[in-house]
Amino acid sequence: MTALLRRPAALLGLLLVATHLVVAISAPWIAPFAPTSLLDAPLEPPNATYWLGTDDLGRDAFSRLLWGGRVAMLVAFAAGAVAVLGGALLGLFAAHRRGSFDDVLMRLVEMKLAVPTILFVAIFVTGFGQSVPVLIVAVGIIQMMGVVRTTRAAGIVLMEQGYVRAAQLNGESGATIILRELLPNVADLMAVEFALRASSALLLVSALSFLGLGISPPTPDWGLMVEDGMALLESEPALVLAPALCIATLVLGINLAAEGLSDALGLDAARGGGG
Amino acid sequence: MRWGWMRREVAVADPVLQVCDLSIAWCGPDGRANRVVDGVSFDLAAGGTLGIAGESGSGKSTLARALLGHCRAGSAITSGSIRLDGDDLAALSEPELARRRGRLMAMVPQNPLASLTFHMPVGRQLEEVLRWRAGLSASAARLRAVELFGQMGLPEPERLARRYPHQLSGGQRQRVVLACAIACDPLLLVLDEPTTALDKTTEAQVLDLIRRLRAARQGAMVIVTHDLNVVADICDRVLVMQHGRIVEQGAVGTVFAAPREAYTRVLLGAALRVEEASRASCASRTAPGPALLEIAGLGFRYARPSLLRRAPLGPPILDNIGLTLARGEVLGVIGESGSGKTTLGGIVTGLLAGQAGEVRFDGAGLPGLAARRTREQRRRIQMVFQDPLSSLNPRRRVGDAVMRPLRLFHGLDQREAARRAAALFEDLGLESALLSRFPRQLSGGQQQRVAIARAFAAEPDLLICDEITSALDASVQAQVLDHLAAMQRRQGTAMLLITHDLSVVWRMARRVAVMQGGRILETGQTEAIFRNPANPYTAALLGAATRAARAGQPELVDTKG
Amino acid sequence: MISLVLRRGALSLVTLFLLASFIFFATEVLPGDALDVSLSADEIAMMPPEVLARRRAELGLDRPILERYTSFLGGLLRFDLGRTIITRAPVADIVAMPLRNSVALAGLTLLLALPVALAIAMAAAQAKGRLLDNAVSGAAIIGYSIPEFVTGLLLIAVFAVWWPLFPATITASTDDPLSVLLAAAPLAVATTIIGSIAYLGRILRVGLIEVMAADFVERLHLSGIPRWRILWLHALPAAMIPGLSAAALYAASLVSGVVVVELVFAYPGIGAELVRAVTRREVHVVQAIALAAAVCVVLFNLAADLGIVALDPRTRRS
Repeated sequence: MTALLRRPAALLGLLLVATHLVVAISAPWIAPFAPTSLLDAPLEPPNATYWLGTDDLGRDAFSRLLWGGRVAMLVAFAAGAVAVLGGALLGLFAAHRRGSFDDVLMRLVEMKLAVPTILFVAIFVTGFGQSVPVLIVAVGIIQMMGVVRTTRAAGIVLMEQGYVRAAQLNGESGATIILRELLPNVADLMAVEFALRASSALLLVSALSFLGLGISPPTPDWGLMVEDGMALLESEPALVLAPALCIATLVLGINLAAEGLSDALGLDAARGGGG
Repeated sequence: MRWGWMRREVAVADPVLQVCDLSIAWCGPDGRANRVVDGVSFDLAAGGTLGIAGESGSGKSTLARALLGHCRAGSAITSGSIRLDGDDLAALSEPELARRRGRLMAMVPQNPLASLTFHMPVGRQLEEVLRWRAGLSASAARLRAVELFGQMGLPEPERLARRYPHQLSGGQRQRVVLACAIACDPLLLVLDEPTTALDKTTEAQVLDLIRRLRAARQGAMVIVTHDLNVVADICDRVLVMQHGRIVEQGAVGTVFAAPREAYTRVLLGAALRVEEASRASCASRTAPGPALLEIAGLGFRYARPSLLRRAPLGPPILDNIGLTLARGEVLGVIGESGSGKTTLGGIVTGLLAGQAGEVRFDGAGLPGLAARRTREQRRRIQMVFQDPLSSLNPRRRVGDAVMRPLRLFHGLDQREAARRAAALFEDLGLESALLSRFPRQLSGGQQQRVAIARAFAAEPDLLICDEITSALDASVQAQVLDHLAAMQRRQGTAMLLITHDLSVVWRMARRVAVMQGGRILETGQTEAIFRNPANPYTAALLGAATRAARAGQPELVDTKG
Repeated sequence: MISLVLRRGALSLVTLFLLASFIFFATEVLPGDALDVSLSADEIAMMPPEVLARRRAELGLDRPILERYTSFLGGLLRFDLGRTIITRAPVADIVAMPLRNSVALAGLTLLLALPVALAIAMAAAQAKGRLLDNAVSGAAIIGYSIPEFVTGLLLIAVFAVWWPLFPATITASTDDPLSVLLAAAPLAVATTIIGSIAYLGRILRVGLIEVMAADFVERLHLSGIPRWRILWLHALPAAMIPGLSAAALYAASLVSGVVVVELVFAYPGIGAELVRAVTRREVHVVQAIALAAAVCVVLFNLAADLGIVALDPRTRRS
């Protein structure tokens, strides 16, 4: 942790993430107006009452901005957690078991890599409808496949280590070997993966919302706000630029923290990225 | 030979290379400088061959690179000079150094496979040096490359030149990098661990080639190695390094016959001396007891990975192996990498399953994989691995590692297991305070003793030790082996001691089996086989391993002159 | 060598077959049939049951699932992607031109981004740890932290609104020649290029730095071989390999990026078609677009695999 704090870029990243988290959690108390209440003044320019002005339906843009990260962050962090926990267990199980289970799993991972993420979610949304749980599961599965790859690769290296061999020779069960010998040794990797997956999930969710395939109106959401405000870019640029800036700073913060974390832990973040 | 006429006329007394008070430091991540070469001074005359000996981490490879004026990123020369042919390499700029590299000084790097560009045929890599460093035209370089490959003793040089590094054998790759280094007939040739990756037969051939090259040219040679046998074989002067400093230097005969420094004595103490009485320190039953382990006709092949999972088998790794081991007996299994000795150990412990033959343990057939064996069989057969650090889970306290088998096999509760673990630690000369440490907080020797404690915690009847000292410093090896012998005597455990290090077998085992190419060449009493090897391969192994000891004998010093 | 190419090709076909199956089952089987998801609950409630049944029969939805699956696969072999549910227009006609436009956008992006990314990566790797390298790494991390639609909007704000150099949205239509279309879309191309450079530059930089620390580079350096030769002839081909291994990931992210960017700039490609199809629940169109994208990614990946084989003789052992 101290190694992490010594890196200025990582520190900046942690600060950005912390700020966004605090704002998102305390939005109900600090937002001056309810995010969905229609005030009587549409398209007000920024002023003392409406700090960022109001949108075309007369909702306070500043309040919506404070609220706008909540659902996206919920989906991103939940999907990141699903991806890392599920991915690590699957990856380590495949590394431990090998054989046809491993083969099938790797084919699935490769298959997923061939479907662009947005299309993957689009397929899910077509089949299951558009809702937050569907989003979490779809985004989680997408991110999970990348985690399966990295943890499986790490697990295969670990399986060759003397302490895993010794446990196998003593007849320890597969569950004991995975949970006791393998899992603690991929904890660092999982921490970095969680950050990378969350940032990538956040990018995906806001892009989906922007396309109208993610979070549905009237929920306040940065991606949706950008989409709504696009037509007003010329007259009220704040309506578009403020939420865009929020998405960018949050993702940047997570990425900087992840980079710093993987540096401090001696891992290679560039290899884990994407997917 | 072509380089015969290129000899340089240098007065013998004039040193070609003068290193004076050289220090090299690495800058750590915390900003502190860490000296890896510390105040090193030596001279080397033309025609001389200097051996730089030391264990890993002694700074010998850093010193070797500095002799070409090169420090890896993050390190720098902090003081001193390296005078070669009148210039101080430490003071030259990078372009000035580049002009001299390859021509004036050249290096044969440590790992030939990684040191050759994998995507380029080896012929083109030699031609590149000839064109860009020796100034030959493209066609002349092509002819000269084939000629040089021929002089290196490479078969069919023209065809070989078109092959990629991974398609060559280890010995061939070593000859290719050697050809690249001597392509411009440098004044100083630095060889970094030139034989480490090779088997003993190939090592002898490569050393022979180096000897011939030295005879044909007048330049100086520096050989960096951890193997005192190589130094004894080919160098006339030796320089022993530890922690970046020179511990001792002098003529090979003098230093090996009468080492002045304690560290040199430790290094030489590990050398095999078959003239002395065997020091086999493990208790071994003299009367042939009932057989504990019987192996007959054992064969093993790896399944080739295949798309269709029909998994055809690869070439035989083990072929018709037969062995017996009595209760309480210690058997040394020696052989080089690729001899199948580790596979044999893996089959006995249950990491792998053989496809042919039979393994019987205590009169009953032993199933292949550990998972198929009974709990009692698993308890009775234990293993100690080569790399001490990787044999302990870095995320768990070392006490956990020892207590786990106590609880698993003997059903002890937490308190009782902790008590027994502490007792085992004491038996192995480890303080019980270490129980709560993590593996990384222990030294290599301590880690390996913890691994031994873990194996003995199960109270096994058979212990397989696979190269358990090869990752340890010479000074620590003896200590670990002494503790292992003491535990073996106390518990009367039978041991299969797998190693490439003949001195370990000499020290520990009354009986020995020699393996090569997946077969057992001969089995018998260690003293009888080591003094009078019947098999030519065994004789070659022993010849290579006893060079350091022979170099210290007076009659050999004389012939070396 | 030839057998290797054939084997990789066959593997790609297997992947495509599995993908087609996945797309079919994910969109058509669960949780309702195509008609259920294309019509709203009100519409279904208002339809007389016999009309509903006739529509089902017309669409073949009354047939058992396996039969529909085999006819779906059979259709694919004949390049017959089916008809839309509402208008009964052939899906292939709807998808063809937008697909052409999107492929052109992606291809132009790759063509322009790759050399720039390579140059940046080489410059950064040469200056590892120094100011230039840190600046490049910093720019890369910012580059891939900003979603494409934000980059696009910023470009519009700067180059179309405040400083009106280019049009904000594209006025060309779907069937225009590619040259007209791409010439009308400089900001869209710029947006996808920025993302690609950040992504490719990062991977290539890491690969180059790794290779420049390899033993064979040190040996060449210690032989006095000129630095430019080491970099271009020895290090660069080796550094391309990790980049090519990540090709599938890159291709997939490029397609995702193109979809979004098309929406931002109203570029007439598959992005707009996809969003329209998903919101209207046009199952066959979503299937066709997903398949087309998968074919592109798989082909790109196949090419990259063969590139690795060409660069690394160690992979050529059969």
